[in-house]
Amino acid sequence: MSHSERSDIFLLDAERTTWHDETLWFVREKRDKAVYATPEFQELRQLASDIKDHTLSRLDFYLQQFEENARRNGVHVHWAVDAAEHNAIVLGLLRQHGATRVVKSKSMLTEECHLNPHLLANGIEVIDTDLGERIIQLREEAPSHVVLPAIHLKKEDVGDTFHKYLGTEKGNNDPQQLTETARQHLREKFLAGQVAISGVNFAVAETGTVVVCTNEGNADLGVNLAQVHIACMGMEKLIPRLSDLSVFTRILTRSATGQPITTYTSHFTRPAEGKELHIVIVDNGRTQQLGRPDFRASLKCIRCGACMNTCPVYRRSGGHSYDFTIPGPIGAILSPNIDMRKHASLPFASTLCGSCTDVCPVKIDIHTQLYKWRQVLGEAGKLPTSKKWSMRLLSRVLAKPGMYSAGGKVARQALRLLPHGLTHGQGYNPWAIARELPAPPQQSFREWYAQQPQNDKA
Amino acid sequence: MSSREKILAAVTANQPAKVPLPTVPFFEGDASVEKFTTLVQAIGGRVVEVAALAHLEEVVRQLFPADYRVASPLLSSANVSVDAQTPLAVLADVELAVLQGEFGVAENGAIWLPEENMLHRALPMITQHLALVLSRQQLVATMHQAYARLATVGGYGTFLAGPSKTADIEQSLVIGAHGARSLTVLLVP
Repeated sequence: MSHSERSDIFLLDAERTTWHDETLWFVREKRDKAVYATPEFQELRQLASDIKDHTLSRLDFYLQQFEENARRNGVHVHWAVDAAEHNAIVLGLLRQHGATRVVKSKSMLTEECHLNPHLLANGIEVIDTDLGERIIQLREEAPSHVVLPAIHLKKEDVGDTFHKYLGTEKGNNDPQQLTETARQHLREKFLAGQVAISGVNFAVAETGTVVVCTNEGNADLGVNLAQVHIACMGMEKLIPRLSDLSVFTRILTRSATGQPITTYTSHFTRPAEGKELHIVIVDNGRTQQLGRPDFRASLKCIRCGACMNTCPVYRRSGGHSYDFTIPGPIGAILSPNIDMRKHASLPFASTLCGSCTDVCPVKIDIHTQLYKWRQVLGEAGKLPTSKKWSMRLLSRVLAKPGMYSAGGKVARQALRLLPHGLTHGQGYNPWAIARELPAPPQQSFREWYAQQPQNDKA
Repeated sequence: MSSREKILAAVTANQPAKVPLPTVPFFEGDASVEKFTTLVQAIGGRVVEVAALAHLEEVVRQLFPADYRVASPLLSSANVSVDAQTPLAVLADVELAVLQGEFGVAENGAIWLPEENMLHRALPMITQHLALVLSRQQLVATMHQAYARLATVGGYGTFLAGPSKTADIEQSLVIGAHGARSLTVLLVP
């Protein structure tokens, strides 16, 4: 199914679509307030972009520097070329420790690798501990946003879910009480977790440290109570210096939720006495993206979600319509790298308004890349048939002024004379599905221009 | 070839020509107690001024119920002893932890809390309520000054900003998700 077909399903509930749109715009406005209150924000964006550009240009060096320092700190470092190897490494570590249950804090990488189903299939109980992640895990859904995984759900949905799985009273939709229920429910899981998995927001090469940012404290609680901490990171998370964190911690949450910083910005350098820390560095298509000059800047992404919150298409189509781990504008440029055929419609899920690029804290040229993906997909023959043929026809007409003029004349007459059902039929004319066609003018601009007395007849 | 070698070879083959690493300017700002206090309150914490370090016990007694199970290296009235080996069942019952914060960041209300000040790595999160003692003299303006102060981040350390919170249910802000339900900053001279 294409993005637009899946969007149609989301759009069936018009009221919910409007609510979704307004909720995300509210988050975007919070971002604006936080950004305007930071005088050097534009300088920070440039610095963040430059630091990431530099890191990508010396990624081989920084990966090795990071590994060496982490090893020196007593950390076990693993490398995974793809999702399957990542999942095998994690499962292997769990087996090695005889663990049957694992608590997990939010990680888009493990979502990308489909770690949960893999562990479940191998008899391991996986508990997502971020509240939003836990809600969608109970509902067996995928996250619909990178920062706000359950943003597509209303409190009534969460109330129903908790009633079904956690025994809350039916009709209790109070966020405060639902959160308290989750707190009690998850506290038991934290205390029983043998191994804890976390994502990684930043990895510092010069110290071998991984940094994890959460508001709920679930990552810290999970990994600090468990015997073994497995941190799963995409290789693009690297930054060179500890001091570079000053730039990234200042822009991450301001761009994401409008907060000045997350509640917990935690630095893991060495395992606690008698415990283990493992870091899995994952490629899974990232080196390929690094080799595409037009698209490698997408590896600078710090997963703040600002581009989604501002995108007029994302806000009105919902994260699930993208059918990819990372939805929204950034997802639409990351996904064709993974599977061009499956995700061919995503670069078209954009108005190319450029709002995503304007808010991106690391200055990724998102809308330019969307435009470039369209060219790549067109040349690779991955366009939908209707689009391919209409574009082919249009390019021939536009190349011949005579044909264009004659076509216009015919169309103006046809729109007037043919029955409305034929010219505006939704089956024939997708344009008319959500809007009425304009009334055809009496004459074309060219005809009008030629009639003006001061102009020579063309 | 191992996965490590495969990945590194692909990176070397695909990475672009080297571009320089920028120097990050030392962005200055307001490092006042007023600014810091405003930010701590904005992120859901409270700030209590303590006139002298000698009054700490008394202030804590006034702020928190006397029958709380308290873990703290700073108070003689602490009644739960916690170290890195403390069993989880004991940790899970701590109601108040009073710990030393190293320094505060005025632009966001965050306080640097290194492992050495935590008794147990999980204590600041598993306690129901958290109080951090912080010297008024130990404030910096921005994260740039903050990281400049850290020669090392140690084995583990966190910039802790306010109580645990979530907005995962319809963007409604709820204080007390998994970590401490409240944060009190005890500002001492």
